[in-house]
Amino acid sequence: MTIRAALRTAFRGAALLSAFAVMAWPGSAIAAEPPAKPRRIVSLNMCTDELVLRLADPEAIASVTWLSQDPRNANMAEAARRIPANHGLVEQVLAFRPDLAIAGSFTTRNTVGLLKRVGTPLREFGVPRDLAGVKAQIAEMAALLGEPERGQALIEEIDTRLARLAQRIGDARPKALVLRPNGFTVGRGSLVDEILTRAGFVNLAADLGIDNYGQIALETVALGGADILILNTTEGGPPSLAHEILNHPLIGRLGDRLRLVALPSKLWTCAGPAVIDAIELLIDATTPPRDQRSPR
Amino acid sequence: MRIEAKGIAVGLGGKPVLRGIDLSLQAGEMVGLIGPNGAGKTTLLRVLADLLATETGSVRYDGTTGAAFGRKALARHIAFLAQGGVVHWQMRARAVVSLGRLPHRRPFADLGPADQAAIERAMAAADVSAFAERTLDSLSGGERMRVLLARALAVEAPMLLADEPLAGLDPRHQLEAMALLQRTAHAGAGVVVVLHDLGLAGRFCDRLILLDQGRVLADGTPASVLGDANLAQAFGIDVARGEHDGQRYVLPWRPIHREDETAS
Amino acid sequence: MTSAATAIAVESRSRYWWLVALLSAMLLAMTAISVAVGYASLDLGAAISDWLAGRATLPALVLVELRLPRALLGALVGFSLGVAGAAMQGLLRNPLAEPGLLGISSAAAFGAVVVFYSGFAGAFLLALPLGGIAGAMLATLLLYALNGRGAGTMALILAGVAINSFAGAMTSLALNLAPNPYAALEIVFWLMGSLADRSLAHVWLVLPLMLLGWGLLLSSATALDGLTLGEDTARSLGFDLGWLRARLIGGAALAVGASVAVTGAIGFVGLVVPHLLRPLVGHRPGRLLLVSGLGGAILTLVADTALRLLPIRPELKLGVVTALIGAPFLFSLISRLRREA
Repeated sequence: MTIRAALRTAFRGAALLSAFAVMAWPGSAIAAEPPAKPRRIVSLNMCTDELVLRLADPEAIASVTWLSQDPRNANMAEAARRIPANHGLVEQVLAFRPDLAIAGSFTTRNTVGLLKRVGTPLREFGVPRDLAGVKAQIAEMAALLGEPERGQALIEEIDTRLARLAQRIGDARPKALVLRPNGFTVGRGSLVDEILTRAGFVNLAADLGIDNYGQIALETVALGGADILILNTTEGGPPSLAHEILNHPLIGRLGDRLRLVALPSKLWTCAGPAVIDAIELLIDATTPPRDQRSPR
Repeated sequence: MRIEAKGIAVGLGGKPVLRGIDLSLQAGEMVGLIGPNGAGKTTLLRVLADLLATETGSVRYDGTTGAAFGRKALARHIAFLAQGGVVHWQMRARAVVSLGRLPHRRPFADLGPADQAAIERAMAAADVSAFAERTLDSLSGGERMRVLLARALAVEAPMLLADEPLAGLDPRHQLEAMALLQRTAHAGAGVVVVLHDLGLAGRFCDRLILLDQGRVLADGTPASVLGDANLAQAFGIDVARGEHDGQRYVLPWRPIHREDETAS
Repeated sequence: MTSAATAIAVESRSRYWWLVALLSAMLLAMTAISVAVGYASLDLGAAISDWLAGRATLPALVLVELRLPRALLGALVGFSLGVAGAAMQGLLRNPLAEPGLLGISSAAAFGAVVVFYSGFAGAFLLALPLGGIAGAMLATLLLYALNGRGAGTMALILAGVAINSFAGAMTSLALNLAPNPYAALEIVFWLMGSLADRSLAHVWLVLPLMLLGWGLLLSSATALDGLTLGEDTARSLGFDLGWLRARLIGGAALAVGASVAVTGAIGFVGLVVPHLLRPLVGHRPGRLLLVSGLGGAILTLVADTALRLLPIRPELKLGVVTALIGAPFLFSLISRLRREA
């Protein structure tokens, strides 16, 4: 090897080593503190988007994810459309110069780590397991955004609606099964389980021993003796192989002996305030004749 | 059946392999196709069997082209034995020989008694009846070659074109195969055999075609074709000549070292 | 002597048809078992009598809308994969040729994915299996072009690797560009191959295309026998090789493409079944076709029934089960071929 080649290799090696050192350096382990009332909020998760859109001033929101702008998937799409979208990439996020970044617990670890390392104030929110958790999360988010009164108002509205809905439930406890894309159902201990209970149903899947989310065969759905089959749909959505099972001819034929209720996925995809709409929709579906609906 | 080739020229990969070949073949004669390696013997045989298209010239079968004759009809009239004896699946010998009856099959019909008889005759002629039920991979190279020869005989076609059918056979079976082909020819079929063994070619063939560098160097009786000049030019060898049992034979003796070989 | 020969030939032929009859009986039995096995106990007798009487009771509905389509589809797909595998092996003169290994199934999956996620399948039902067929056809043509005149095993396997990789990449690309943001996530299940919760609509959709494919393949039986001795000999026996290739490629594409379009990619059936049954038909590639089809149907139904009986939850996917059976088989096949070489 000539001397020039050797020197070049040495330079490259040194450059690489220093790059590694910079990247591997733990950097600041302490998260930066956001201001009391952030004015440039960036949300990186569709569910945190919804809460942010409900609780903060539109001028304070710098960016929400692109997913929230689709009315088929998100509950606050109209509001989200007026705000610039991001795809969760660090460069995009930094371009908005956020004073607060909000991520979900499933947001890419790399993204979260990088944002923290460059000193962006960042908070992560998990997925609530029950309605109490939903309300706690609203309170926490409201405090973080500097809008505690709005959070309180939202929680009170939820409580009022829940109380009203609870009065509408009769003594009959219809047996219900939920059918989700790819043949999944909801079992014991999930938020949806609580939604079913609040709507006055018995969740058959819980009786079958399914915890959280598990798969259920159409056969079991047919022979399980349910009174109500709740189909988790996305109306007008793009083609989806996972949704094919919801179009199985058997389900149409079953419509004679049990009630089919279509429940838009977006109402409970994010464990947020929209779940109350889901409970209301379910109760409406089983109220006496005057209100009878057989959707689909 | 007559096969007539006029002005055949074939190139493979840009190089000319056959140039300007004229010849005709008819039933009842045993023709040996000889020549050095690379002379184009296999190519010529494939052209005659309508397996290879020519660049110029034509091949006529009883006066018509191969296309006009019809592929299936031609299959009943020409039996082709390929070089190398490749068999992809280890079938039983009898099953391999019965492949020779495929040109005679009627749609949706299995092999009939006439076919079975032809298969038996072919196997007996090639002396493979003893291992009719054995699979090919359990046979030696020579035995496998005989099974393939039986397959070609089973077609019972008026023309038999065989490419090096003696490869791998021991001396007894080589002699028996040549005698068998001669009998087939004299029984009324036309037989063309590509050979390397000049002795056998000279003894058993009625006619020899000597190819050299893609051209017909000589075409006629063995006595006329196997002259010293021809052999020297085509093969570059000297032969010893002899006579035994009233038959003349040649025996390749030694390579000729030409003076101009060292100069060029 | 001739009558003895005829006797042997007749015996060989009758042995073949006995084998076909035996496999057909096993297939019927396996279909019945598949219908009888399910996730919930079903009173079969009541269900059948209800259905015959025209009463749409729950058991009858489950029988006709769920169990029957699953069993039928298992048999149809298994037959298609078996016969296509045997046909590929006959065409390429190589015992390792198989739609999954050679990338034909992946290409079919790609075709189906593109058609589905672009919305064509919604507009025009038949578009889905046609998409799968188009993908399979492309792959088979490419394979034949790369493999040429019976090139060796090495070239063949490498071609298969290339096609598999390319099809996989293109599928990922198609999913990335799909309007459905969850496409890439939900496709994972579909690609593993499954017969679960398919409907009679799927059966009617693919049946005509599969029948056409089977027809093309099975009609090539004698020509495949002729190919045993090489292309020159086959041509000299009167076979039109161009038309034969077209039939085999088209038939395999139809059969595999339609199958993959409704079930996702299921592999190894076309490798294992012909290999096991080849000695039983005296290594004759022509006879292997029908027999491989029947064997493939049986194997698929056995695998599908087994995964329903296994206590593993969530349920194993069919493609995974056939891979678990097939991959060790492939290993042993490779090591045997190496020892023989």
